[in-house]
Amino acid sequence: MELVLLILVPLAFAILIALRPAQEAKFHAVIGTLLAAGIGVNALGRFDWGTPATMQLSAAWDWLPTLGLRLSVGVDSVSLMLIALTLLLGPICVFCSFTAIQEKERTYYGWLLVLQAAMTGVFASRDIVLFYTCFEFTLVPMYVLISLFGSTNRKAAATKFFLYTFTGSVITLAGLVYIAWFNATQLDSIGIQSAGRWTFDIAALEAAAQAMPANVQGWLLLAMMCGFAIKIPLFPVHTWLPLAHTEAPTAGSVVLAGVLLKLGTYGMFRFVLPFLPAAVLEYAPIIATLSIIGILYGGLICWVQTDVKKLVAYSSVAHLGFCILGLAALNTVGITGSILYMINHGLSTGALFLLIGMVYERYHTRSMKELGGLACKMPVWATFMVFFTMASVGLPGLNGFISEFMCLMGAFQAGDKWGSLPGGTGGDLGFWYALIAGLGMIIAAMYLLYMVGRVVWGPLVLPAGHDDHGHDGGGSHGPLPTDLCAREIFVLLPLAVLCIALGLFPKPVIKALEPAVNNVVETINATGKRPDAASGVKAMNDLPGLPSSADVRHVSDADVSVASSSPTVQWGGALSGGDK
Amino acid sequence: MSEKLALLVPEIIVFLTTCIVMVVGLSPNLAVRRSCGLLSASGLFIAAILAINGPAGDGLLPGLTPYIKAVIALIGVLLVMLVAGTVDREEDARVSRGGVFNALRTNRAEFYSFILFSLTGAMLCASASDLIWLFLALELTSLPTYVLVTMSTRGTRSQEAGVKYFFLGALGAAVFLYGFALIYGGTGSTKFVDIASIIAQQGINQITLAGMILAIIGVSFKIAAVPMHFYTADVYQGAASPVTAFLAFVPKTAGFVSLILLLALVGWDHGTDKVSVGHTLPSQLRLLLWVMAALTMTIGNVLAVVQSSPKRVLAYSSIAHSGYMLVGLIAGPGDYGAGFAHNGIAAVLFYLAAYGLMNVGAFAALAGLERRGRDGRPVEIDSFDDLRGLCAGRPLLGWTLVVCSLSLLGLPPLLGFFSKLPLFTSGIASGEIVLVIVMGINSAIAAFYYLRFAAVAMLEDPSDGPKPLAAPFPARAMSGLVALVLVISLSFFGDALMKASRNAAVVEGSGVRAVPASPSPGHKAGDRHDAASPAAAPAQRVGA
Amino acid sequence: MPSTLAAVELNSYLPIFIILLMAVTFAVANVAGSLLIGPQRKGGNKGIAYESGMNPVGTARKRFNVRFYLIAMVFLVFDVEIIFLYPWAATFPNIDPGSPDSLVWLGRILFFLFTTVVAYVYGFRKGVFRFD
Repeated sequence: MELVLLILVPLAFAILIALRPAQEAKFHAVIGTLLAAGIGVNALGRFDWGTPATMQLSAAWDWLPTLGLRLSVGVDSVSLMLIALTLLLGPICVFCSFTAIQEKERTYYGWLLVLQAAMTGVFASRDIVLFYTCFEFTLVPMYVLISLFGSTNRKAAATKFFLYTFTGSVITLAGLVYIAWFNATQLDSIGIQSAGRWTFDIAALEAAAQAMPANVQGWLLLAMMCGFAIKIPLFPVHTWLPLAHTEAPTAGSVVLAGVLLKLGTYGMFRFVLPFLPAAVLEYAPIIATLSIIGILYGGLICWVQTDVKKLVAYSSVAHLGFCILGLAALNTVGITGSILYMINHGLSTGALFLLIGMVYERYHTRSMKELGGLACKMPVWATFMVFFTMASVGLPGLNGFISEFMCLMGAFQAGDKWGSLPGGTGGDLGFWYALIAGLGMIIAAMYLLYMVGRVVWGPLVLPAGHDDHGHDGGGSHGPLPTDLCAREIFVLLPLAVLCIALGLFPKPVIKALEPAVNNVVETINATGKRPDAASGVKAMNDLPGLPSSADVRHVSDADVSVASSSPTVQWGGALSGGDK
Repeated sequence: MSEKLALLVPEIIVFLTTCIVMVVGLSPNLAVRRSCGLLSASGLFIAAILAINGPAGDGLLPGLTPYIKAVIALIGVLLVMLVAGTVDREEDARVSRGGVFNALRTNRAEFYSFILFSLTGAMLCASASDLIWLFLALELTSLPTYVLVTMSTRGTRSQEAGVKYFFLGALGAAVFLYGFALIYGGTGSTKFVDIASIIAQQGINQITLAGMILAIIGVSFKIAAVPMHFYTADVYQGAASPVTAFLAFVPKTAGFVSLILLLALVGWDHGTDKVSVGHTLPSQLRLLLWVMAALTMTIGNVLAVVQSSPKRVLAYSSIAHSGYMLVGLIAGPGDYGAGFAHNGIAAVLFYLAAYGLMNVGAFAALAGLERRGRDGRPVEIDSFDDLRGLCAGRPLLGWTLVVCSLSLLGLPPLLGFFSKLPLFTSGIASGEIVLVIVMGINSAIAAFYYLRFAAVAMLEDPSDGPKPLAAPFPARAMSGLVALVLVISLSFFGDALMKASRNAAVVEGSGVRAVPASPSPGHKAGDRHDAASPAAAPAQRVGA
Repeated sequence: MPSTLAAVELNSYLPIFIILLMAVTFAVANVAGSLLIGPQRKGGNKGIAYESGMNPVGTARKRFNVRFYLIAMVFLVFDVEIIFLYPWAATFPNIDPGSPDSLVWLGRILFFLFTTVVAYVYGFRKGVFRFD
């Protein structure tokens, strides 16, 4: 029931905002998002963390039963974490817009709440059509936010964003419908009693999809990636992202980086990996290669940016590359790291966008040429900026590090060579993939530190007209002081706290994510063993010295000494232990 | 005899309403004259209720008859609301200023009775059990629309449109009439049941095949599909917006019903990897429909993108929607016992109802606005500039336009998505995966221009200069409101409509079909229901 | 079962060909015959509209009042009605008066007459019969 409320409460407040006068919009938006966050906290409490891999808090109603649709919701730990991220960013987005948005407030806050409802719906849905509905419906609010409240080139950016994503996801829908059809009638052809009636239930379709022949799975992989890869965005189809990010208002960028991109990686985790294990095994190297190209290419482009926001936008391409690399590693540590990265990226990049927005509100520029040495003008801002940049770079002790490390670790362990060693899982990636991707970390450090060096440190540079800063509390700053005000600090603090917490003590989160991830990994391994489905795929369990996945799962909970086969736990434990 | 008459009760009601309207519309009393719209709407509403509770038809698709009649009559009510004030506006103003009533200068009686005649024709299409009947019904649908186009505005453009429409319509009618003649020549009967059983027993011969091809191409004029689509933009633009909404729905529905009935004569293919039940759609027809579907949706969408007039955009998009629906025709009714998701015909029937609603909504926004021309007369709006900032200025019309255009685009969770989804499922179930992909890509192309409607109305500020005025006919905005409410609510509570469309799409046997297909080496999943329980098959057909 | 066209042999079209041939022959023969054996006279009087009648006055392209067309239309309505009434009247006495069919037949023609009345009322209200 909580989950439904999480979707309905923002919607209800959006309608309330539309009906009430514009002066009240802010107030209702705050209440709505905080109420949703409260319900979210309650949901976190009600969730049984002992069995994080099972779907909980489920609820379902019939919805056009003739077509086999159900309004069905439920979460496992992965979904719940991402919902928690969404709910956290909700109030932050509202608070950060108080001064930036001065006109059309009803439109702004109303659509922001609708967007939150849709994103929550994506993570909570257990029916493919409901998932797709929410997935697509995120486009409309985002389109409105960008094209009404963005900067100069906003209309083109919004249209490009909409068309890109819509095109891809229609193909994804075709793939999903194909699976539903296969489940309804075609299972007989491979010797399983088929349902005979249509359903779009994710669990039912998962079983059906896994039973498909490998070549069909390959096509479906292509179809699904059409939608998800664009949303993530994966390397060749990323071009909408920098434009959308740059043009979007601050809150739009925060939501875009924080949650919307994760819809793609979540889709991969929820649909691509468990649905199409044979194809994933076969094409993981290609996906990993694309993600590595994205990491390097995104990083190198960041390096030459002069627009700070564009730089952070391209850094998202690079960071999400790590996410996909972790998913493509197809082992527990990689995928867990990837999901952790989704959350961490949402926190740190979201915060960076907030910080850039705060500067933009004051100086109306984002160009590095016009901004420099802000540390002496805005010390509090500079502190946060350096802190979140470090989190984004992956400084050990902050949240970015552990997840990036786990993604790379997963890629390492997914190699042939490593597969024969303890802790290896086998697979088609390996040393070189991880090494080249690792270069991306260095590039990230270079461009982010370069940016911090120019904007925060160095000689003070301010845009023309701001040189003489003698109008505190007035002038073009509007109500804003030179440095951050209490509201802005209040917005940034929870993110900072979480960055530190997840950096120092990620173990509970990892522990909660692991069983859900293990289910997926087990599925992939089990299908890898299928002689018919694994044509052209290395049967991973043939590799010497590899404990079967089932062993990994049992051992990791019980016996720490054998935990070398479950490096995730080891790392989480080591880090948290070391910092205590 | 009397059963057939019972079948026609809704049409008779509409016809009687036509007679009343024809006389009432010429009353010397202005208030009485103005009741034409109300009378027409009530007549249609009664006909719809009678159709819903009425008997099933006696053709190959018995459920089709009441369903289509009810849909046409109910959306006809909305259309009648939408056309309020299209004719006689100046004459009424003159009379209410104290002028003398002149019967020859009023058009109201003709206008409403032609609308009702056309609706009667479309309803008769659904009752058709005979080629001649079908021809007459199709022509009864079309002929009044030629006049409607011409009399809808006072400009020369609508006269040009009317003449164009008439001549091309005559060409289309000639083509499908020739097709009907050849079908008769090839089978020796004009009765659907006879034709179907002859084709089922003897196979389809070349003459019948040629007749089918000509008939399909001719009827494609009514549904505005390639290769008979070229008139659409000019005619739709020339007619007044409410009449355009009428053109986009009524002849299209009649055309699709005719296509369903015609294709039911030769059956449907049910995919390559299954044993087909009954006889299959000949590969030539399948190819023809495939090419028509792909070209129709692509040409419609691509041309819509480059238009600058909202009405032309909607006209081309109406072509594209016909293309989508053709996918459902290729998919056919699926296997016995298979549900709604397999049934392309049910998808088409559901889509027709949904399209009718969305179409009314989109055109209601256009029809609800007007400008003053240079001579002070009201003229229609015909540019996107006039729609700018509509949501802020006139929220009802604006949101109707936004929601309906997003729904036409197929954005979930609106009705358009849930009507496109069955087309997807049935297309995939019949093995037409490439066509479904083409349809998906086309939906994305459609996003270009539907998004434009939504963005212009919702996001942009009103343009400088004189703003468009609201047309002084609340019925128009009301029809938009009804469409808006239905487009949103049917996507959550539309199950009854889906069930109805599924029951409407059950193909009754041509004699051969009732017999379960004999098991063959390739015997697999598809006909499991029939092969496993032949006795249960008829029950499933009715109840499934 | 009616025979299909495909099964019909081509020589069953022979009568049609013969009739076509006769029609063409007749037409050609008449024209040719009058050219060959008819008297050939030319002159001013031969060219006028009514060779042996009154002299034409004014031009033939005169505008008629539109009401004549309306009257023509009304005439058509009643003319067509009679065409339908006659076969009905010829058939109706053969129906057994006791059978339920007879009522249906009567109902049909009454319905048909009703539509004609509607057309009449429509025409009346439209002012077709008013000449002022």
